Amino acid sequence: MREFVSVAMKTVRVKKGWRFKINGTPSPEIENRLEVKHVAATPSKIPFIKPRLLARSGDQVKIGSPLFEDKKNPGIKFLSPGSGKVVAVNYGPRRVIEEIIIALDADESCETFETVDAKTLSRLDRKTLILKLMAGGVWPFIRQLPYREIANPELKPASILVSLDSADPFQPSPEVCYNNQRSFFDMGVQALRKLAEHVNIIQSAKNRSIDWLNQLVTHQVLGDYPANDPGVVLYHTRQSPADNHAWYINGQDLLLIGEFLSTGLYPIQRVISFSDGTIENSKHIKTRLGVKLNELYSSHENMDHLRWIVGGVLSGYTSHADGFLGMYETSVMVIEEAQKSELFGFARPGSDKLSNSRTVLSALSSAPLKVNSDMHGEERPCINCGYCAKICPVDILPQFTYKSIYADEIEEALAHGLLDCVECGLCSFVCPSKIELSELLIDAKHMYRREINQGA
Amino acid sequence: MLKHIEIYLRSFFDKNRHHFVDGGKYKKLASIFEAVETIFFIPAIRTKNAPFVRDGLDLKRFMSIVLLALVPPLVFGIYNTGYHSLQAGGGNLTFFNVFLNGLMTVLPLIVVSYAVGFFWEILFSVIRKHPISEGFLVTGLLFPMTLPPTVPLWQVAVGISFGVVIGKEVFGGTGRNIFNPALTGRAFLFFAYPAKMSGGSVWVAIADTASSVVNAVTGATPLAMTALAPSFKNIETMLSSAGYTFLTLFVGNYPGSVGGTSALCCFLGAIILIVTGVASYRIIIGGVAGLLISSFLLSLFPSVSMNPWADINPLYHLVAGGFAFGIVYMATDPVSAPGTDRSKWVYGFCIGMLTVLIRVFNPAYPEGVMMAILFMNLFAPLFDFIAIRMRVSRRIPNV
Repeated sequence: MREFVSVAMKTVRVKKGWRFKINGTPSPEIENRLEVKHVAATPSKIPFIKPRLLARSGDQVKIGSPLFEDKKNPGIKFLSPGSGKVVAVNYGPRRVIEEIIIALDADESCETFETVDAKTLSRLDRKTLILKLMAGGVWPFIRQLPYREIANPELKPASILVSLDSADPFQPSPEVCYNNQRSFFDMGVQALRKLAEHVNIIQSAKNRSIDWLNQLVTHQVLGDYPANDPGVVLYHTRQSPADNHAWYINGQDLLLIGEFLSTGLYPIQRVISFSDGTIENSKHIKTRLGVKLNELYSSHENMDHLRWIVGGVLSGYTSHADGFLGMYETSVMVIEEAQKSELFGFARPGSDKLSNSRTVLSALSSAPLKVNSDMHGEERPCINCGYCAKICPVDILPQFTYKSIYADEIEEALAHGLLDCVECGLCSFVCPSKIELSELLIDAKHMYRREINQGA
Repeated sequence: MLKHIEIYLRSFFDKNRHHFVDGGKYKKLASIFEAVETIFFIPAIRTKNAPFVRDGLDLKRFMSIVLLALVPPLVFGIYNTGYHSLQAGGGNLTFFNVFLNGLMTVLPLIVVSYAVGFFWEILFSVIRKHPISEGFLVTGLLFPMTLPPTVPLWQVAVGISFGVVIGKEVFGGTGRNIFNPALTGRAFLFFAYPAKMSGGSVWVAIADTASSVVNAVTGATPLAMTALAPSFKNIETMLSSAGYTFLTLFVGNYPGSVGGTSALCCFLGAIILIVTGVASYRIIIGGVAGLLISSFLLSLFPSVSMNPWADINPLYHLVAGGFAFGIVYMATDPVSAPGTDRSKWVYGFCIGMLTVLIRVFNPAYPEGVMMAILFMNLFAPLFDFIAIRMRVSRRIPNV
């Protein structure tokens, strides 16, 4: 029995943002890379948790065996994305657990959980469902705005936003991810409906290729990166402060929840988009959660001069060839490391320079450009040019907000909309003074979160 | 060729860097080394935080665009200075000769302005251990362009020192100044040495070849002329009888400050600045609108027709004096202008309006744009404050 929900689709127009002009957009071609040797869980990439290890180096684990849990909320468990031997637990600075690496064995065995069909799911109460999702290790896929931590199971959100795609063309395209996945998707949506009254499904107006999916979309988004981000859609659709308390989930993660409920197995597959700036190698790859990055791509040349970026060049994190895919991430990109200073760089016309401004010749064309990890300039004082405010998708005035943060005027920063910040990175990207605006805003958000949690 | 220069320079800087790092002989002068090196090379700095790809625009490029936009008024200003000097002193009026003559007058002003200004910039950045900011490249050129060609070089030095030190560095340096440093310097000279900065006799420089001393002859600017003769009912007639037709004023071929006479060249500069997005079109258009609207409104009042500038065709306000230069290059300085879109409109509009009000109601002081901009610099933070409060009150709070 499938509930029929008539949906009046809303159109959300986001005027500010950035249209990617970077070489090597992944093609819709998909390659299977499911046979891998190593996978890992990466606790340090999950914001705000305090991991407590449940498995040690040398332990034998199955797919779905608990690897660690959150000390602050021990019900939230993180399960193993592979079966085999835990070969290493790597610590970073200040004993942060960076990765728990599992060498996969040949015949991977799985922990099994109770399966649920649509009918039983409709009879489950909210609490039981939450416990089920937490025990099955898929609860952490549901996250909470504005801090983007794992959703607090004790709260009830005003809405849950499902973002099917991204305006970043280096993220997987929905026609690749959701093709033939309808049953898992429906199951996932049905589960979300148990958790919140409103489940809003967001898709870019450009990506309307799968019919059944289009019918489920409640909000179609028009706009450049990061228009499809749940935080941006929430900012442009909210009616009252109560709406701010929303949860969100990536469409692919929703499939995982649906798969978990339907099959009773911890899901381990992930479609990612990969790009190294060339047309030949840039494509979609169907692979494993927590895959080791160099199993996705290896080049005959020396790879030391390459920067591995997981999760998008604007808002992801830097890793390395031996790093692993974080649990929320769906893209891997390889770009050149900055290594050569440029003679008279400021006076060159800039036909090959990537810039959002119109001070370079390349602004005249929309042709994609080769990029590297160069700052393209040194840090300077803010000159109040306002480029950051002009591009901020949620209308923060970063050039003023960061100054109030420096002056410890956190109230002022909050009034400017600090918590609406979607961490898209565009303010830092455009800043001609190379000020780390986005990092400053995110740090201030985190500091505020710490303070209110201590007060409570 | 370029490749060889690059290799040579690269090795030169790499070889000498060790003197300027910790433990080197000239560690204190590290910021000078860095400044000189970055004139030639944009260093390769790797991104540490997301986003890992950054915009190709940096402050050097930003400021170079302003310098580029200053080329039309500068070149015209050099020619204009030479032309009037030779015309008054008698001389060969071929293009080359005129230009060379102008260059002989203008170049020393620019050199002194840059040299003295950079001295202060370097002094402050060495003490504060800050990198030297590119903003001065613009200030150091803007300042001499607002001066009369006859100004003594020591006054240029004093003026730029005041502009840089009091106008900028005491507030904490680039990005923290309230007033436009170039205009602050000019205002200082204007009030400290009025005899050399205003009146009818400072605007034409004659190079006396025998003693190489720059002398001045009478050659009133159009604005000064109207101030001196307020009994004329109609300024248009008076100006054109003196040879200052609307077209002359627009093109800028009349005695005046080095770079500020040509509205046409400022218009070209404005196009460069607006097309590249380096200056705010809101300020420029707002300023022009403020000027035209308020001068039109004033011309409707019969009672003020005693003032010569009150019922002039509003377009004359636009082309006369330094308004065009001020609104295009001075008012758009992002540091001293407000930072929100709406307040930029208001700021520009108020500058235009104040310029007209000063010209009309204080005919003894017809060049109002300098004071109008400085006055509005003072108001910029207030405009921003109001604009931000309005934005905040419209926002659905999220705390």
